Amino acid sequence: MMEFSYLIIICCLAFASFLLYKEIRRRDKSRLLWRIVASMLMVGAFVFLMFPVRYNTKKNEPIHELNLLTEGASLEAIKALKANVYTLDSSVFLVNKKKKITYLADLTYHLKTHPDIRKINIYGYGLAEQELKTLADYQIYFHPAVIPTGILSVSWPKKLNISETFIIQGKFHNPTEKKIKLKLYGMGRSLDSLTVKTKGMNNFSFSTQPKHIGRAVFKLIALQGNDTLSIDPVPFEIVSEKPISVLILASFPDFEYKFLKQWLYENHYPVAFRSQISKNKYSTDFLNRKPVNLNRLNSPWLKDIDLVIIDEDELRSLSLSDRATVYREVSNGMGLIIKAAKTGLGEQPLISDSTGKTMVSIKLSGMGKILTTTQSSTYQWQLVGNQMRYAKFWSHLFEKASRKEIPFYSFEVTPKWPSVYEKSTIKINLNDYKPPLVLIDSIPISPRQNMELPFLWDGYFWAAKPGWSTVSINRKVTYLYHYKRTDWKAAKNFAKLNSTVNYEARQRNSVVNFDEVELHAEEEISKWWFFGIFLLSISYLWYEQRFLANK
Amino acid sequence: MEEAEGNYWITKFRFKLIVIYFLKITLLSLAIGILLTSMATFVAVNSVMIFAVTFMTVFCGMLIFKPTWGVTKLEVANYLNVAYPELEESAGLLLKPLQDLSLLERFQRDKINGAFPLPNSLKKASKGIWVNLILLIGVLIVHQFLPLNTLVSQPPAALTNLNAVKEQLLPGIKDFNVQILPPAYTGKKTRTQNQFTLKAEIGAQVVWRIETTVAVKKLRLIFNDREIITLNEDGRFSRVINQAGFYQIELDGKKSDLYPIEIIPDLPVSIKIIAPTPYTTIDVGQVPKVNLAALLKDDYGISDAYISATLSSGKGEGVSFTEKKLSFNTDVNNKMAVRLTKILDLTALGMKPGDELYFFIMAKDNHGQHSRSDVYMVTIVDTTELMSMAGMAKGIDLVPAYFRSQRQIIIDTEKLLKEQGTLALEEFKNRSNSLGMDQKLLRLRYGKFLGEESETAIGGEHDHEEGEEHTTAAFGDVKALMDEYAHKHDIAEDATFFEPELKKQLKAVLNEMWSSELRLRTYKPQEALPYEYKALRLLKDLQQKSRAYVAKTTLKTTKLKMEKRLSGELTKIVQPTQHATFEHTDRSIEELKILLSILEYRKTGRAFNYGDRELLRAGEKQLIIAASTHPTSYLAALKAIRKISLANNVNVADIDIVQSTIQKLLGKEISKPQAPVASPEVNLYRSYFNHLQNANQ
Repeated sequence: MMEFSYLIIICCLAFASFLLYKEIRRRDKSRLLWRIVASMLMVGAFVFLMFPVRYNTKKNEPIHELNLLTEGASLEAIKALKANVYTLDSSVFLVNKKKKITYLADLTYHLKTHPDIRKINIYGYGLAEQELKTLADYQIYFHPAVIPTGILSVSWPKKLNISETFIIQGKFHNPTEKKIKLKLYGMGRSLDSLTVKTKGMNNFSFSTQPKHIGRAVFKLIALQGNDTLSIDPVPFEIVSEKPISVLILASFPDFEYKFLKQWLYENHYPVAFRSQISKNKYSTDFLNRKPVNLNRLNSPWLKDIDLVIIDEDELRSLSLSDRATVYREVSNGMGLIIKAAKTGLGEQPLISDSTGKTMVSIKLSGMGKILTTTQSSTYQWQLVGNQMRYAKFWSHLFEKASRKEIPFYSFEVTPKWPSVYEKSTIKINLNDYKPPLVLIDSIPISPRQNMELPFLWDGYFWAAKPGWSTVSINRKVTYLYHYKRTDWKAAKNFAKLNSTVNYEARQRNSVVNFDEVELHAEEEISKWWFFGIFLLSISYLWYEQRFLANK
Repeated sequence: MEEAEGNYWITKFRFKLIVIYFLKITLLSLAIGILLTSMATFVAVNSVMIFAVTFMTVFCGMLIFKPTWGVTKLEVANYLNVAYPELEESAGLLLKPLQDLSLLERFQRDKINGAFPLPNSLKKASKGIWVNLILLIGVLIVHQFLPLNTLVSQPPAALTNLNAVKEQLLPGIKDFNVQILPPAYTGKKTRTQNQFTLKAEIGAQVVWRIETTVAVKKLRLIFNDREIITLNEDGRFSRVINQAGFYQIELDGKKSDLYPIEIIPDLPVSIKIIAPTPYTTIDVGQVPKVNLAALLKDDYGISDAYISATLSSGKGEGVSFTEKKLSFNTDVNNKMAVRLTKILDLTALGMKPGDELYFFIMAKDNHGQHSRSDVYMVTIVDTTELMSMAGMAKGIDLVPAYFRSQRQIIIDTEKLLKEQGTLALEEFKNRSNSLGMDQKLLRLRYGKFLGEESETAIGGEHDHEEGEEHTTAAFGDVKALMDEYAHKHDIAEDATFFEPELKKQLKAVLNEMWSSELRLRTYKPQEALPYEYKALRLLKDLQQKSRAYVAKTTLKTTKLKMEKRLSGELTKIVQPTQHATFEHTDRSIEELKILLSILEYRKTGRAFNYGDRELLRAGEKQLIIAASTHPTSYLAALKAIRKISLANNVNVADIDIVQSTIQKLLGKEISKPQAPVASPEVNLYRSYFNHLQNANQ
């Protein structure tokens, strides 16, 4: 196209020069200037006829408004509005069909085609964060609906280890006069329940000890009398434990070690136990693991050890090189539990007794942690049959101290409740920089690399069916739950309400109000002008040649 | 014969009246009986009994208060005279023998004889029948259509009788019954039921009798999914039930539902001793008698109960024990609950001061199960032991100086009491009062150990008032100044002298002394004596407690040669190495845990795959084991899991039952240590960390 227009311009220039040459060379030199002017004008007008002339102008116009109804908008609000009522929500549209509400499939598209709209009134619960981002150039006026009844916010761990307690906490809004009963239901029985007070916001917290391995969907049920207000799914997964490999270095064998060793052994943890029997002579036990020579501690072997338990005396009598090896490994992430007479100064207390005396303290050392425990007779808990307490105590210590397991990847999905037919974003955190192979329910996703942090990737997907779906990242499968659109309705609405209110407030701070808008428009000079010039100049040339020249 | 007609008619009329009367009162009693029965079901009383009682009461009441049944012919005649004027008041004549009548009477009799039979004679009497009949029908309607009866009487029926359990029978079974013969000692009667769900006393003989519609080749009973018993042709089988479990019936390969067998256990006698307390001390002055009261209970009957008492007397190596079997006065013969009492006369048992009596109650139920109570103890305080000096001659004695005084006070009191007759009243009072003074001084001295400062408070705290006046301290005396502001509670000696336990006891001593002082000062030395003794006993205890005793031993140790220490040859010492791997054989708990989430996934409609079915089978096995011991808790789940594994469509209710039961089976979980999870390792973070670390160094 471009080439074509150049061609025409060249042709026209050639034509103009030809005409100029012709006029100048004519024998009759009268009215030469006029003829030249007329010829040039004619060619010029011809060119501009083909290529219209455009220019930019600025003009002020009064702005137009758009009324946007979202879920939760009260009918009174709609009544007051005269025209231009739109909705993005098909459910709102269906309910209020008779009230002259127009359904918009795509707000961004509509706004682009209607540049005069600068102001948007939003009624109801508002829009989600992502939708609001597209409205940056518009004035937003939000008329919020009342805070919805029900669970406004809730959180629970999506993944648990075996024997961990499952805790779900949140906030419930009950504006009514009647009490509401909240119930956590799962695995065919009611696990926990509480009564929500009337008139106001209430915090709730449920805890239970789930017994399964694998995935399950518990339910959070809100009841008012015999009416069920809501049933929302609580999906989570329980993964089986990863064994912690333990090395115990004892200055002499005692009951405490014997019981600890036995407990770990019965729970299938790999344990290496070394106790001194004489000078440089050791007795060693290898439970659930391969035997090696433990007279000297070597670094590569310690790499596989998650936790070392040692008593004060043994730590003192370790050779310098051994001690250095242990501490080097601790700074690389290994845990160390020291059994000592008293805890060190300046360490963070982990467990205190009823009088406030610190029994176990913790401190960081490089990437690892060092725990100091003064408890030297926990085996007595086992002897009196208090297995629970014994297990709880040592589990707590082990979990705090142990080397952290490093996964190949982790991922997170936004929004908080990824629902069917909604766009969800998956953000993947990898341990290398290679592009990951991501499949969600066997549908490949093309992830995008983060520009600054090359190990971060993100991608979009749309779920088609509710329930558990598989997420395979580099052929390792985990699970993701997709909610129905109706799940956690109150919480979703409350989140929208908050984000819209915040967005409006932010905008108030940054943008001044205006009633008129300056429109940048491109105007075109009418072709008739050029046509007129063309006609006049050509008529003059014709007339001059026909009548004036022949005189 | 003509003469007899009137007489005959009256006889018949009387009979009819009586028949009508009985009909009437029967109807009325029935009506009232049913009405009351309907009402009684509200309070869930045995309805048949109520009916019988009310019926009989009303019936007998009517017989007594309206004795129409005893009506004589003469009365009938009188009634007819009143009712029918045409008889001209002469019906009585018809009843008299002909030869007794005068001529005129004969004429009259002949005259009225013509009037018989009288028309509509039963009309009035029979009117009542209709009234009663309508009443009865009305009551019946109420009883039938108001759902009082069915509604109210159902719950107790469900509770007491298992007939409410709905069972699915195999189609081939024509008729069946199960007879339960409880063991004789229970005293319960044989009962027959038309259902397979069993609830039997332990040791009961159960007889099944099953009739089938067609001749079957194989009729079997399967107990606990293990034991298979083929029934004879007559379809009878009997066995003694000693264990809970479940069974099912198999008819030619077709298996029935699972039926639970529940056991009503026979518990041993429960014994609850109400009095005395587990440790009883008889102090000086108390009556050496102990009231024993106990409640005994058993489910079927107590056959025997007695007290087993052991008496220990003597001291040190000379302790002797005598055992005695004491019986209760009340007879327990097969009562289910009984309250037994006995007064233990300690002197009659041969108990002397310083002796101890241990006893417990032994009981036997009618099944021969023994049970016994806790051991209770009674001691009599030995005054001579208290007075002995044995404890004070040796060892550390924290309170030596004052200790003799309490003993002295007792001796003096006893002496005073002995001399009471010879002394003048004034003199007696004086001496008693001075003894009281001594007791007070003694109390104050002991009080010092507790930090008591005032004379009156017993073990009380002393106050420090803000505005307390202090003597002006000498100018420049720093210590005096300090004393004024310091609160001297924590004098080291006071604080560490006694342990809190000791202090508590000391306080109790002071209490006794106070009581004794009170009596002495009010001239009642006889009453004061027990308190004095008790104070002395407590002091003695105190003394024993505050003493550490180490026996002497003769041991000689060889002297260490310091130069030889830690210089031994270690080359021949081997370094032992043990190696063991925990055999993970029992995976049942893990399987159950995985099964839980498989069932959870099944709720969403996913079909079981091969592995899932294996786990289902494993779960079923576990449930069978559980159900064979506790059928009531686990049988429903066993049924449900079988249904789930066979069914094509999902039944969430069944899955829920199985899930909740498996969770019950899994019990409480003991926590296991878990490795925490970090974020994916990134070189960037690590190098950042290393840089930081290097910068620090």
